[in-house]
Amino acid sequence: MRGALHAEWTKLRTVPSTWWLLLAVAALTVALSAAATGTVSTDQCPSPDACHEDTVKLSLTGIWLGQAAVAALGVLAMSGEYGTGTIHATLTAVPRRVRVLAAKAAVVLGSALVAGTVAVLGSLLAGRFILPGNGFSAAPLSLTEGPTLRAAVGTVLYFGLIALLSLGVATLVRDTAGAITTVLGLLYALPAVVELVGNEEWRERIREWAPASAGLAVQATKNLDSLPIAPWSGLAVLAAWAGAGLLAGAAVFTLRDA
Amino acid sequence: MTTPTVTPYRSPLPPARDGFPQLLRAEWIKLRTVRRWSLALLATVLVTVAVSVLSAFSGGSDVKGDRPPPPVGPAGAIVSDSFPFVHQKLTGDGSITARVSLLGGREGRPAEAWAKAGVVIKESTKPGSSYAAAMVTPGHGVRLQSDFTRDTAGGAVSRDRPHWLRLTRSGDEFTAYESADGSTWTKVGTTRLAGLPDTAQAGLFVATPGETMVQRQFGSTSVGGRPARVTAAFDRVTVDGGGGTWRQDVVGAVVGANGDPKGTPDSSTEKSGTWTLTGSGDVAPHTPEVDITQQSLSGAQIGLIPLVALSVLFITAEYRRGMILTTLTASPRRGRVLAAKAVVLAGVAFVAGLVAALLSFLVSEPELRDRMPNPLFYPDMALTDGPVLRAVVGTALLLAAVAVLALAVGALLRNTAAAVTLVVVVLVLPLVLLSGLPIGAAHWVMRLTPLAGFAVQRTLPEYEHVDTVCLPEEGCYPQGPWSGISMLCAWALVLLGLAMWRLRRRDA
Repeated sequence: MRGALHAEWTKLRTVPSTWWLLLAVAALTVALSAAATGTVSTDQCPSPDACHEDTVKLSLTGIWLGQAAVAALGVLAMSGEYGTGTIHATLTAVPRRVRVLAAKAAVVLGSALVAGTVAVLGSLLAGRFILPGNGFSAAPLSLTEGPTLRAAVGTVLYFGLIALLSLGVATLVRDTAGAITTVLGLLYALPAVVELVGNEEWRERIREWAPASAGLAVQATKNLDSLPIAPWSGLAVLAAWAGAGLLAGAAVFTLRDA
Repeated sequence: MTTPTVTPYRSPLPPARDGFPQLLRAEWIKLRTVRRWSLALLATVLVTVAVSVLSAFSGGSDVKGDRPPPPVGPAGAIVSDSFPFVHQKLTGDGSITARVSLLGGREGRPAEAWAKAGVVIKESTKPGSSYAAAMVTPGHGVRLQSDFTRDTAGGAVSRDRPHWLRLTRSGDEFTAYESADGSTWTKVGTTRLAGLPDTAQAGLFVATPGETMVQRQFGSTSVGGRPARVTAAFDRVTVDGGGGTWRQDVVGAVVGANGDPKGTPDSSTEKSGTWTLTGSGDVAPHTPEVDITQQSLSGAQIGLIPLVALSVLFITAEYRRGMILTTLTASPRRGRVLAAKAVVLAGVAFVAGLVAALLSFLVSEPELRDRMPNPLFYPDMALTDGPVLRAVVGTALLLAAVAVLALAVGALLRNTAAAVTLVVVVLVLPLVLLSGLPIGAAHWVMRLTPLAGFAVQRTLPEYEHVDTVCLPEEGCYPQGPWSGISMLCAWALVLLGLAMWRLRRRDA
């Protein structure tokens, strides 16, 4: 297993796109987060203290961009091998396919978590600098606050789970375009469909089960009652999606010719 | 020693032309022979229709409104037409003059900017009948309006001084004049009402749009409204060519059992030659809260995802498989290769988009209208109506432009994953995030990014003399339909030009 891990890590780190994608995860997340915190103001509220804005969630808005790069990372880790034919060499060297997938999952998860940590810390730091200028208190953005810690840790885990989900989908679909389109559909189209659906009950149901909207419930620090799903349960829904994707991928991977 | 003569090899195939039509044919064959790409096109149609149908059949309210059918204006469109009307008969040519003071709105507060008080010549007291009116408004000065949709601006008015207004009829022509003192008159404008009967009603009116309150912060929006009120006093009222006595009516009021107007504060009283009118209804085109046609086409926002994947692959797959070498050997003029690809893709996407938009509209639109609380207050749109035709064809055009845009991004990046991700995120993410942005920032995103193209799906007319709240989450775009789609096409063409330039400059 250690050999498989080492092999996967070598493959991942020697592809230039990996480093660009990891950089993109951090840079895009922090950039969009900073833009989001830069546009809010307390004008609409009677007083800055009466503004019930969830500043923590707002400071982590950038995940909506960062997750696209993580998804690409997860997909390419598998589909890239099929595109270039390396998969034959890989499976000749390590014939146990579940082991190959597990090693890939481990290295992809590890790099997504590291990039995610940088992205989340950078976003919160940007929020701490920008929000006081807009009349908000920076106090809730401290990691010593329980809910903030939950949001921060949860967001990092969210990045990791998205990477695993993407890897699973790519193992199922094998080709880059199909896999990335499927993952982007799950992450972006489902939340967008919610905006188009009129019926409140249906909206709630989609929000509860769609990977992105359920998983991002973990970012909330205020008005937890109005969430479609509780923070950790939402992340569990995403974990179920990722697990199901990986399991299905593993099953097909073992049964099918490469 | 004899030297054997070597005949150089000549292909037995007859030489063929390498013009643009041949290039188009080659690209079309590539597109239609990859089965996955045909499936992606099919998916575009199916997803578009499915999301539209989902949004139509999931929405709506169980509570049905009990509002009576709305009046219909001379042009056949739904209008608001309810106001207190103090009037007398006017046969043939003539004029009505009055001095108007706007007294304010509800409970001493100022009236709405588009509250109206003035003189009117109207076909009859039937709501929706033809009219021409000269009026003062608190926020927009003197106006000449007719048949609900036409509006001409006059001079400014001061809020605390009364203002003179005169409206004259000469055949089908109605001319409005204004004056600050009643002796020097300025012409405001002239309007024609064709087919107004010889005998019409000339009189005084007040009207006001409702109050709208918008609370919008951090992704939650609440829009509230209630009827507003306006009161105005009229004195020195004269009708030239008029006859008979003044009659007091409330146009468009719901009449109760005993013949009294039910539940409306609209009223008129006279005291020593001064009429005081209070009104709460409006005389204006009716603008529905929801653009049903636009909503019936909303599936295209999701349906474009498989189309983007196909369009990116149409070029990146050539690089992946090395096919690009054959393609460029066969047609060394590289710009034309990309142009042929763009034409073929745009054509195919247009046809798929047209099919998807037609199906979406035909299936979803009647259902959406039926599920509204007051369906009669939404225009019954047919496919042949101008705005609907524009929205449906515009949706096809939109998908064609998105396909070209995705092709260009694919050619520039030469990387399937990066190009698909970039285009999908740019086009779909705003749907999720725009409602959380401040309205100004949201409007800039809708104006300048390729997202602007979706403005072509709007069908509600905009009138300068009707204030509407334009919220991104309700699908309202700050620009007109054509300028929106032009912005998207500009993006597509500029990126395509850039991609052609890069293709020429770089090794394949």
